[in-house]
Amino acid sequence: MRAPTKPPPPSLIGLAALVALTACTRPSTCRGDYCGTLVFAAAGQPDILLPPVSVQGLARDVYQQIFLKLADIGPSMNTLGDHDFQPQLSQRWEWETPTRLVFHLDPRARWQDGPPVTAADVAFTFQAYTDSQVHAESRPLLGGIVSVTARDSLTAVFAYRERYPEMFYAAVYHMYILPRHLLDTVPRPRWATAAFGRVPVGDGPYRFVSWTPGQSVELGADSTFFLGRPHIRRLIWQFVGDQQAAITQLVAGQGDALEFLGPLDNLRRVQQVPQLATYPYKSSAYGYMLFNVAAPLFSDRAVRRALVLALDRDRMNQSVWAGQAKVPPGPMPQLWSVWDPAIRSLPYDTAAAARLLAQRGWRAVGGGGSARTRGGQKLAFELLVPTTSAVRRQYARLIQAQLLTVGVDVKLVEIEPNVMQDRLAKGNFEAAILSYQADPSPTAGVTQHWGRGAPGNFGHYANPAFQRALEAAGHGANRPEEAARAWREAFSILNDDAPAAWLYAPNLVAAVHRRVADVQVRPDSWWALVRTWRIPADRLIDRDRVER
Amino acid sequence: MTAWLVRRCAAAIAIVFAVVTLTFLLIHLAPGTPFVPSDERVLDPAVVDGLRRQFGLDRPLGVQYVRYVVALLHGDPGYSFSLRRPIGEVLATTVPNTLLLSGAALAIDFLLGAAIGLYQAARARHRADVVLGNATLFLYSVPTFWLGLVLVLVFGQHLAWFPVGGDRNPVLYPSLSLLGRLGDRAWHLALPALTLGLVGAGGTARFQRAALLEVAGQDFIRTARAKGLHERRIWLVHTLRNALLPLITLFGLALPFLLTGAVLIETVFSWPGMGKLAADAIFTRDYPVVTAAALLASVMVVLGSLVADVLYSVADPRIRLGKGGARA
Repeated sequence: MRAPTKPPPPSLIGLAALVALTACTRPSTCRGDYCGTLVFAAAGQPDILLPPVSVQGLARDVYQQIFLKLADIGPSMNTLGDHDFQPQLSQRWEWETPTRLVFHLDPRARWQDGPPVTAADVAFTFQAYTDSQVHAESRPLLGGIVSVTARDSLTAVFAYRERYPEMFYAAVYHMYILPRHLLDTVPRPRWATAAFGRVPVGDGPYRFVSWTPGQSVELGADSTFFLGRPHIRRLIWQFVGDQQAAITQLVAGQGDALEFLGPLDNLRRVQQVPQLATYPYKSSAYGYMLFNVAAPLFSDRAVRRALVLALDRDRMNQSVWAGQAKVPPGPMPQLWSVWDPAIRSLPYDTAAAARLLAQRGWRAVGGGGSARTRGGQKLAFELLVPTTSAVRRQYARLIQAQLLTVGVDVKLVEIEPNVMQDRLAKGNFEAAILSYQADPSPTAGVTQHWGRGAPGNFGHYANPAFQRALEAAGHGANRPEEAARAWREAFSILNDDAPAAWLYAPNLVAAVHRRVADVQVRPDSWWALVRTWRIPADRLIDRDRVER
Repeated sequence: MTAWLVRRCAAAIAIVFAVVTLTFLLIHLAPGTPFVPSDERVLDPAVVDGLRRQFGLDRPLGVQYVRYVVALLHGDPGYSFSLRRPIGEVLATTVPNTLLLSGAALAIDFLLGAAIGLYQAARARHRADVVLGNATLFLYSVPTFWLGLVLVLVFGQHLAWFPVGGDRNPVLYPSLSLLGRLGDRAWHLALPALTLGLVGAGGTARFQRAALLEVAGQDFIRTARAKGLHERRIWLVHTLRNALLPLITLFGLALPFLLTGAVLIETVFSWPGMGKLAADAIFTRDYPVVTAAALLASVMVVLGSLVADVLYSVADPRIRLGKGGARA
């Protein structure tokens, strides 16, 4: 007699049942070149998918697939002039006068609910972005444009106050054209919470499909898109708790793309997974230790210079980024065209640092040089660093160790980013490690952070000579080479004044599933080119074929 | 009973009102401001001020509070600053998720914990009792987030038996049948519910074992045994029923524990529930969401305590709910 077969454990039966249930799906039928589903692992979630009123970067990643600009920046990331820009919603453009720019819209462009995109939409969009009731983040950047009018249904005319190198960039980079017929009945003060922002209708390569708060956003390819049908049919942003969770999702095969892997450990983790490919790109971010010039200790330019001289920033970058970051020659990411290693900046020289401090009366005590005092006061300061940034916390510790060798006592204060922002805005700090993610334009980025009285000038830095050079670079120079010279001058003045120690400008790495071909990651806007990506028919996996 | 219930409900409303008021004041007085971008950009202060005005944050705190309470009494808890949608809409998606997770975890916690406790008590001081005692002690001592990460690593990443996060498969879910959707939800629920439930079960089992052994030593159990009752009946009917009271207390207390425990677990498993929503809202200074979360949590706590009191009277006929509260 045969021995009875031992039944499988209940847990396995349950698991099998679940798998069987999960298999209750419609047939996976999609074949050919226009299938494909990409799942983006997203740490966070969007606020609203209405471009002028959103303040979250993730929202931009999504809505830039739904809405188009008149033209977009080219691969060179050059923001000066209009030569490197590529047509998008406008077929072509011309300068009628030095301060009058005419865009000719592509007659094939349609809103996803049917009507054509017209010049009236462009004029409406400009009014909305510049309306003080809408609170558009990019409103200040449109200040050089006097008006936008519709000459006819396909011709939009931009009038400027004056000529400046980035006037074309100002017109196109920040404005996503909006459907007037759907938004003109929504009172402007209500745009911040408009229902349209939760079910947007655009003119881009992808249509909005669904958004479940806390879970995911899904877009579907618009097969009638006038610039060419996108190859990948479904784009899904799945929201996860944090970056580590995003990496885990990717490594476990439940996500397809992540724009930034973060610290080296994560990169190594991803590189061990054969189905994932990595894509390095120049980052639009840079990090620095900011001195509050209004604080008594840092009102002394010589002390600031001494602290910068005392930091071996190359060694720090080696330690934190394993060589994947450079010391920036000013407040700039590697992405900017004005990056120039020849810009005058302070070297690493601890002897010079010690001399400078001694000249300013900060004498070494105790023989070992481990502390300095002046009039009984110890040379010490508080350094703010956000709890959420592993990279900046590493830098804080390295700075603390390196400055100790010249007798400076650094007290690290790790605080929540929101509280840090509050203290920065109120000027309630001595020094802080900041990281800034910049637009491609140096004009906006530098002015915003270092211009006199600018919103991001938390360190209260001001120098009339720098201000003049900054204005010359941004508005005074009409030719690119003049602008480049003015930028070099501005950065050299800034470096001499040492309102901050520039720490790192990294190369970042994105990860995308290997089945995806033609991947290009744009440094300023990672997924901007996703409509040109494709998944060859022979590389499709099950989730690519699923019919919704 | 009715008078007692009315008094308890009145007290519950007062507690909830106090919690909402305190939360409202504390979160508004905390340093930091809403509308700070999560990425490393600088928002023009004029834009932040404009948004603050738009959401009424430029008014004095007292005015904001009165407006909030009046709106709340009209059933309008306001708009989320960070999600830019009505709080009701946000809660409609997150509360069911948390209830699902907490409910599943509670079930694992109490069913498994009570079963293990009973098994241990019936075999007190035998090898199985010792082994299970150490196992439950280990589970009870483990931080939930750590256990969650281990389960993600082993069963999610390496073995790929379960998803590493989320509450559903965003690719497949829309195309699944009703049965398939249920299966998909259960599949995603498994690891977070097990994490919360196992840690809870460790404590419950130890508690239950002690309570059972205390009852098992009493005279009426000895009498039952002397009468020749079957051992199973003695444990399941006489001992277990009398040892249920502390377990019911524990059940009432477990509700808020599960809610606070769920904050970490929802983050680890990217489970879109109240805990994760509240944690994110605290970091983004989303005042209406934080206050709504506190409101819901306090309602759950007072309800849990109310349910425990009612269950007390069901489990123990000597307890009557009347004047002066529950009394024996």
